[in-house]
Amino acid sequence: MTRYLIRRGLESLAVLLVMSFAIYGLMGLMPGDPIDVMVQSDPNLTPADAARLKALYGLDRPIGERYLNWLGAALEGDLGYSRLNNRPVLEVLGPRLLNTILLMGLSLAVALAIAVPVGVLSALRPYSKTDYAINFGALAGISIPVFWLALMLIVVFSVQLGWLPAGGMQTIGSEGWLDRAKYLILPVLSLSLASVGGFTRFMRAAMMESMRQDYIRTARAKGVPERRVVYKHALRNAMIPVVTILALSFGTLFSGALITETMFSYLGMGKLIYDSIMGNDYNLALVSLLFATFLVLLSNLLADICYAWLDPRVTYR
Amino acid sequence: MSIREVMAAEDGVETMPRHESMARLTFARFLEHRMAVASAVLLFVLVVLVAAAPLFAGALGLDPNDVDLLNRFAPPSADHPLGTDELGRDVLLRLLYGGRVSLIVGLVTALIAGLIGTVIGLFAGYFGGWLDALLMRITDSVIALPLLPLLIVMAAVDLGKLGLPPDLATSPETSLYRIVLIIALVGWTTVARLVRGATLSLREREYVLAAVSQGAGSLRIMFGHILPNAISPIIVATTLSVGTIILLESVLSFLGLGIQPPIASWGNMLNNAQELIYEAPALAFYPGVLIFLTVIAFNFLGDGLQDALDPKALRR
Amino acid sequence: MTAPLIEAEGITKRFEASGGLLRRSGPTVYAVNGVSFSVAPGETLALIGESGCGKTTLARTVARLYPADGGRVRFKGEDVTQARGKALKPFRRAVQMVFQDPYGALDPRLTAGAIVAEPLVIHRVGNRRSRRDRVAEMMATVGLSAAQMTRYPHEFSGGQRQRLGIARAIALDPELIVADEPVSALDVSVQSQILNLMRDLARDRGLAYLFITHDLAVVNFIADRVAVMYLGEIVELSDRDALFADPRHPYTRTLMRAVPVPGHGKRARGAGPAGEVPSPTDIPAGCPFHPRCPRAEAVCSTEKPPLEPIAGQPQRRAACHFRDEAA
Ligand SMILES: Nc1ncnc2c1ncn2[C@@H]1O[C@H](COP(=O)(O)OP(=O)(O)OP(=O)(O)O)[C@@H](O)[C@H]1O
Ligand SMILES: [Mg+2]
Repeated sequence: MTRYLIRRGLESLAVLLVMSFAIYGLMGLMPGDPIDVMVQSDPNLTPADAARLKALYGLDRPIGERYLNWLGAALEGDLGYSRLNNRPVLEVLGPRLLNTILLMGLSLAVALAIAVPVGVLSALRPYSKTDYAINFGALAGISIPVFWLALMLIVVFSVQLGWLPAGGMQTIGSEGWLDRAKYLILPVLSLSLASVGGFTRFMRAAMMESMRQDYIRTARAKGVPERRVVYKHALRNAMIPVVTILALSFGTLFSGALITETMFSYLGMGKLIYDSIMGNDYNLALVSLLFATFLVLLSNLLADICYAWLDPRVTYR
Repeated sequence: MSIREVMAAEDGVETMPRHESMARLTFARFLEHRMAVASAVLLFVLVVLVAAAPLFAGALGLDPNDVDLLNRFAPPSADHPLGTDELGRDVLLRLLYGGRVSLIVGLVTALIAGLIGTVIGLFAGYFGGWLDALLMRITDSVIALPLLPLLIVMAAVDLGKLGLPPDLATSPETSLYRIVLIIALVGWTTVARLVRGATLSLREREYVLAAVSQGAGSLRIMFGHILPNAISPIIVATTLSVGTIILLESVLSFLGLGIQPPIASWGNMLNNAQELIYEAPALAFYPGVLIFLTVIAFNFLGDGLQDALDPKALRR
Repeated sequence: MTAPLIEAEGITKRFEASGGLLRRSGPTVYAVNGVSFSVAPGETLALIGESGCGKTTLARTVARLYPADGGRVRFKGEDVTQARGKALKPFRRAVQMVFQDPYGALDPRLTAGAIVAEPLVIHRVGNRRSRRDRVAEMMATVGLSAAQMTRYPHEFSGGQRQRLGIARAIALDPELIVADEPVSALDVSVQSQILNLMRDLARDRGLAYLFITHDLAVVNFIADRVAVMYLGEIVELSDRDALFADPRHPYTRTLMRAVPVPGHGKRARGAGPAGEVPSPTDIPAGCPFHPRCPRAEAVCSTEKPPLEPIAGQPQRRAACHFRDEAA
């Protein structure tokens, strides 16, 4: 088991390294490198100056060498400066990360609070009207474009009803949780609606699978009350794959968070990545993207560990 | 998407109907799935409508890219059945032409992704060993990655720096090919896993052994015997992926990184929707509804095909 | 004696639970353990034994469908154990398979014609036209009509499918056919038709068979020689008549103790020795048969009897400490 975990850890590390190189390379292909931007904004700089500056910053070196230099510095904790914010990248990242965790955590909680009971209901009455209605709802949730959903929420709740703010983090000059909460409702609603459909369908499948197991039949045959069979035995067993899928869906959830944050001007990591790419702040984009990748890989590792821990049928080498 | 993929991967191999009588049975089962039939009809109507876009344009005497700044945000009228947008362009025509782009991008990308996934799945499943381990690690990694940010990066890449001439690198047509390419590059994973699963089971079949014993080469066995018998999970997964791909295309285009104007797509028609939301909320409504309907239709269609092609598997 | 067509020498095959990332644990299955035999041109060697004793595994290993974990396969004196690609082609051409499940062995997506033609295509025999003629000829040989070429496997009956499988196997004029229980999935009435066909083919074309079955009546009908397998090993190897008349391994005897076989006085179908077959994951020490053997003595649980000739009958071998005791 320990050996397995070490290997999975090393594999994840390898993926992270590959990704860091790939993303570093892609960043080099972004429109306008820093010097070009500088030359454009400062008419006093000649092309010769630009070439000299590029040499100075090592931008004329081959990609592999530049990457290794960057990696070396990064490993020593020097992740560079954000051009847009004029601050070290890590300083920018920290608060954004907390905001994203808050958004994703709340959305996940809401999505699960809906998906688990609804999925179980669906599984207990397979092929009934209720089941079909739930499936329709779940598929609709999967099929709706998140950005459009956000747009429609803004139209209804901000533009027409005027109940909630259309975006931002909190009212200027106002303090306290209540005010923050007002700004959180629509983003959380949009992100949780985006994931609830998938979770519901998965919950239903897991529950149906679990109800088919032998020991459920045995428990029934022994006269264990149906409620107990369902809630104590079947549901508990069905939660094993669900826990795993939660960790595995982190990447998808993060993609959803990026859209939601961008739509509601919510200052999280997703919006940070989007803004830094659009604003040519490639250092910030690189680090935040890698950080997101790291988090996703970590959650996948956690999923594996959970699975190993919860499911006794699996052995490891 | 990842939930869908995991579920799909666990469904395993399905068997395909064997001949006309079986095909008829499959069709009958499909007809039983009412939502799938409704979806098929909806998609058919949609395809006919977008295919007939030039006819509508002719009837209205308009071009979808005709700008009419004196006639911005016009309400629906005989000249403009669904009104005009912020540049005075006809909304109905743009929806129809945008639908062409969104549907074609969705279908073509799904086919390319399906092709990539099929080849990867076949090789992994057939050869096994280190190749399988490697390919599946790659697949799992791609599934796990935060795809949208990566797609944004790939969509933002300056193709001029890859050696494309400047005017080609920034042309709207190039944006079309680019979007197909980058989404296909990450969209093959579901099919790869399904095909691998099917291959693992099919390669133990006696007709495969029979081919081996006759001296058939690996390619012949993979493409001549295994692939034709693994076609139904491929069809189902590819159909389902069309929806996912249309969603991805729309969000990238919405963010201004996908299909570039003046080519219309449902996604980029929503480009300015957020700024215009107070002035013209209806502009934001139509394209979104069409994306939603198309995607849900492909999802139901996939479900229906799954039930029809593989009656044994757990329904949906 | 003529030079053997195919020789197996010390063939060993194990199955391990495949190592994936998440593996389900399972012990190693010792399916075939050091088996040697040979088949002469035109000869039919029957391989019999209880279910799970490793007949299929042995046949597939010898036919180079499974890689051997030990031992070698020689074809016409040439070692083909490690041959691959081009070097293996002549072997593939000369050795063909017929499978137990006539449905599973035919690709459901191909027409009967395409199925029979496939070996010709693989070995680039003739052109499209001549292959068509050859397919029609092969189908006629096995009792099918050329008009059935465009049909799909599911449109045939079980017996017809097996004929199709045989037509495919003989299309390249092979020298050896490895037939793995070719009739046990068929109705009894159809079995004899297929057996007759196979025997006629052997006679007319000088075919040799490695013929797996667990039906002694079938053995009696088709075999020249018989190899009796138990837990991955051959325990008795003999010409047919001598084996039926005077089986020397206690396992062979229990197999034969049952219903009479016309002409030989004995017949057994599925009847075997008492008790459970030990698992091939955990083969008993000494003689593998000793826990179930009525003749067992102390030596049997410690010392493994080799497969050696019986006194006075050098062409017969048995792996029993008491091989020289007639019944
Ligand atoms: N691919 C495999 N993986 C693991 N174990 C296998 C595999 N194939 C066969 N075995 C095991 O090897 C042993 C021998 O199997 P084999 O199929 O050769 O027996 P058999 O004599 O042909 O049986 P039958 O009369 O039922 O066909 C059995 O215990 C079987 O479970
Ligand atoms: Mg067998």
